[in-house]
Amino acid sequence: MQSGQMQPITGKELEYIVDSISNEDLLIKQCAATCATTQNPTIQQALQQYIRSMDHHLDLLVQALQQHQPLAPTQPQQ
Amino acid sequence: MYYQQSGNSAFMQDEDLLYTILADLKRTVREYTTATTESSCPAVRNLFTQLTNDTLRMQGELYNLMKQLNMYSTSSKALRQDLDKQVQSARNTQQKTRQFVQQKTSNMGQYAQAAQIQPPQQNAQNPYYM
Repeated sequence: MQSGQMQPITGKELEYIVDSISNEDLLIKQCAATCATTQNPTIQQALQQYIRSMDHHLDLLVQALQQHQPLAPTQPQQ
Repeated sequence: MYYQQSGNSAFMQDEDLLYTILADLKRTVREYTTATTESSCPAVRNLFTQLTNDTLRMQGELYNLMKQLNMYSTSSKALRQDLDKQVQSARNTQQKTRQFVQQKTSNMGQYAQAAQIQPPQQNAQNPYYM
């Protein structure tokens, strides 16, 4: 994750990150499935680029979770 | 705009498949924008800002590609008289709002006055938060 102060994430942020991982995952699968059926090389090339970008997004999202692991409290806090 | 190719035995036509990807990219951009505004940790906000921008870029590229391939038709062009009417209406609103701001801030010193005097800047770069 890029610059910026690291704070423990809220439950809401965790939900957004998890939902985002699902979104990116679904988009990657849609792009791959379309890539496999289309005969148009321009479309194939564009979709392959999108897959690479989305895979990078997935990496960033998972990294965000990992980087916040040590900051997360182990007990519910008030 | 639809079904320009025929006799294709593929699972679905290219334009339908691309349209679903485009729709999901649009939805994902909206969700990233919401996530950005709801973020508390600055690092998470930075991440969501970056993902919003990059997803918006892909959505724009896919839209342009579909347009080039005649897979997407835009809505009809707005009429001149409708634009004229809206420009007039927007100017009236702007003028009234400026008067309102002036009434509310006239006794507030130099900061408020500076804000009132500034003319609208054409092509000004939007400040970009974070």
